[in-house]
Amino acid sequence: MNFLAELTFKPELWFFPFTHLPEGLWTSVLVGITCGVLGCFVVLRRMALIGDALSHAILPGVVIAFLITNNTGVWGLLLGALLAGLMTAVLINVVSQKSRTKEDSAIGIVFTALFALGLILISNLPRGTHFDLKCFVFGIPDAVTMEEMQLMAAITVLVIGTVVLLYHSFKLVSFDPVAAAAMGIPVMFFHYLLMGMISATVVAGLKTTGVILVVAMVITPASAAYQLTNRFSHMLILSGFFGGFSAILGMILAFVINAPSGPSMVLVATMIFVLSMLLSPSHGYVFEKLRKYRLRRHIDGEDVLKAIYKVEQSGENATGERIGKQAGLPLDYLTKLYGDLLREKLIYLENNITSLTDAGRKRALEMVRSHRLWESYLVDRANLDPDKIHIHAEKLEHAHELADEIDRTLGHPKKDPHGSEIPNAGGKD
Amino acid sequence: MRLGPILDPAMPQATIDIAIKLRDLTVSYEEKPVLRSISMDVPKGEIVGVVGPNGAGKSTLLKAMLGLIHPDAGDIRYYGKMISECRQLVGYVPQTEAVDWDFPVTVLDVVMMGHQGRLGWFGWPNESHRKEAIDALETVGMAPYRERHIRQLSGGQQQRVFLARAICQKAEILFLDEPFGGIDAATEQAIFSLMDDLAGKGHTLLVVNHDLSVMDRYNQLLLLNQRVVAYGPPKLIATEENLRKTYGGRLSLLDKADSVLKDHL
Repeated sequence: MNFLAELTFKPELWFFPFTHLPEGLWTSVLVGITCGVLGCFVVLRRMALIGDALSHAILPGVVIAFLITNNTGVWGLLLGALLAGLMTAVLINVVSQKSRTKEDSAIGIVFTALFALGLILISNLPRGTHFDLKCFVFGIPDAVTMEEMQLMAAITVLVIGTVVLLYHSFKLVSFDPVAAAAMGIPVMFFHYLLMGMISATVVAGLKTTGVILVVAMVITPASAAYQLTNRFSHMLILSGFFGGFSAILGMILAFVINAPSGPSMVLVATMIFVLSMLLSPSHGYVFEKLRKYRLRRHIDGEDVLKAIYKVEQSGENATGERIGKQAGLPLDYLTKLYGDLLREKLIYLENNITSLTDAGRKRALEMVRSHRLWESYLVDRANLDPDKIHIHAEKLEHAHELADEIDRTLGHPKKDPHGSEIPNAGGKD
Repeated sequence: MRLGPILDPAMPQATIDIAIKLRDLTVSYEEKPVLRSISMDVPKGEIVGVVGPNGAGKSTLLKAMLGLIHPDAGDIRYYGKMISECRQLVGYVPQTEAVDWDFPVTVLDVVMMGHQGRLGWFGWPNESHRKEAIDALETVGMAPYRERHIRQLSGGQQQRVFLARAICQKAEILFLDEPFGGIDAATEQAIFSLMDDLAGKGHTLLVVNHDLSVMDRYNQLLLLNQRVVAYGPPKLIATEENLRKTYGGRLSLLDKADSVLKDHL
């Protein structure tokens, strides 16, 4: 990495990094954004393997273009890559439809064959010509020329413009191709358009990450965005942002720790993905834990209400200790639950004695009713032993929304299997 | 062979609009016939159940009627038009298993997709399209759920959303692919009464269904096993003999004829 080695750490770069860094950074950012946006379609349509295939299979196209034009002019390479990319997509379709080969195998067969063809073509290049395979495979961002940067900028504008213009059609085709075809939208055309755009992006951005890692730029930011949102448009924007951000941060990281920039970008993208896995509001680990904790606390709060109700019924003083014993909860946790219940105005405290408010009493009775109805249901319908149902009913009672339905199903029973009265709906004694 | 369903004799036949007309529809995959000479007339406002075992060609019939595969022979007309002339007239409600329920779209997004055929490739829906989509959701009783993600729906609600998409498309002929997979009996009834409502409004519904349990809820029944075994009101055609013909194995002689012909070629 010559360019990295020449640079020493300059703090001012942290504040104005973009004005000083060369074409490689800008191209990487553009590749990140474009791959991020296109990656959404790849991820949603479960074509991750196709991304891999396209990036490898463009090699023969690039080599042939190189042979014909006899230089590494970007437009020739782009055309070669586009043709090779589209041919890959067509071949995959032909193989999977005209034989019993499944699509994933078809992809594997086609792209390895084309990559192998590319390697043989390289080895047979005329003497004196130099084709840098290493650059193709691993990428060398500091070798990005001004011309290549301009090309990538043009591709970014074209891709994003196309996606925006055809946004709703793309959404339909990706979500429900059968309905789209039935509505008269040419699904295969959209497929090849997507393949073409991915090929163009991959070849133009080749020097930034190389063919092996460019797949990560396609799949990883999009997968991260997929974790975080339920809206297609938000996913596209987030993914584009993650891609661009990975490129910038990856470049800075590479510069700071003196590492190759392509892998750094990929690792940043992976880090974003891991964070999104943990932090996703609907699917993430952290929020899942938090939701479970809240539910637990809600359930324990309801148990405390019931405990207070029972202690009151027995005529004893509802002190904290007594309630804790009744509900089987440690005192420090009980204090927290008291905090919740006081805030919800379900209980009040007077001289260290806890009492239920009207709302609290109603809720406690609902719990008792639900508990006894569930016990009746378990004995009546699930044929469980009346001595063993209490522990199940302790859990089920918190599904008190279903109490009325059980009541109806069982024909409004008056007493539970243990002979205790079942309170009426509405929480009246 | 009888082409049309057995109609109520009290109804003057001349005034009945024929919504779907199939004549000698024949489709084969890799030279193996899947559908043989299917003919039927479906009057407007009918609910037709297409019933048959696996491999009877139900989904092939659906694909051919949607214009997704080319038949080898025969003719498909909707109010006299070919599918290529009236694609928006025909709405498709996919099988629940075929839908990616994790796709990042809301209920309203899905219904709005019904506009895309008319809007064309570059089309962006506007506020009035949005209103139409919400109206379609009202029709199926799903308007309060419009901002929900599709993953958060029950089986019956999922069916309703896709029906709403077909309504939003202003489709008059609706194809439902196995709408009763994985839903309970009560939901099934709810879907049927919704279909009755739609039929009452002049929609014609074709429901593909592999099991026989709800057979008598249809106005017309098409017993299919590569050919039309019988077509008409369930009461008249769901005889033991017809059902045996439908479900009791392939037509062995025709299959034999195929292999003989193949050997000759």
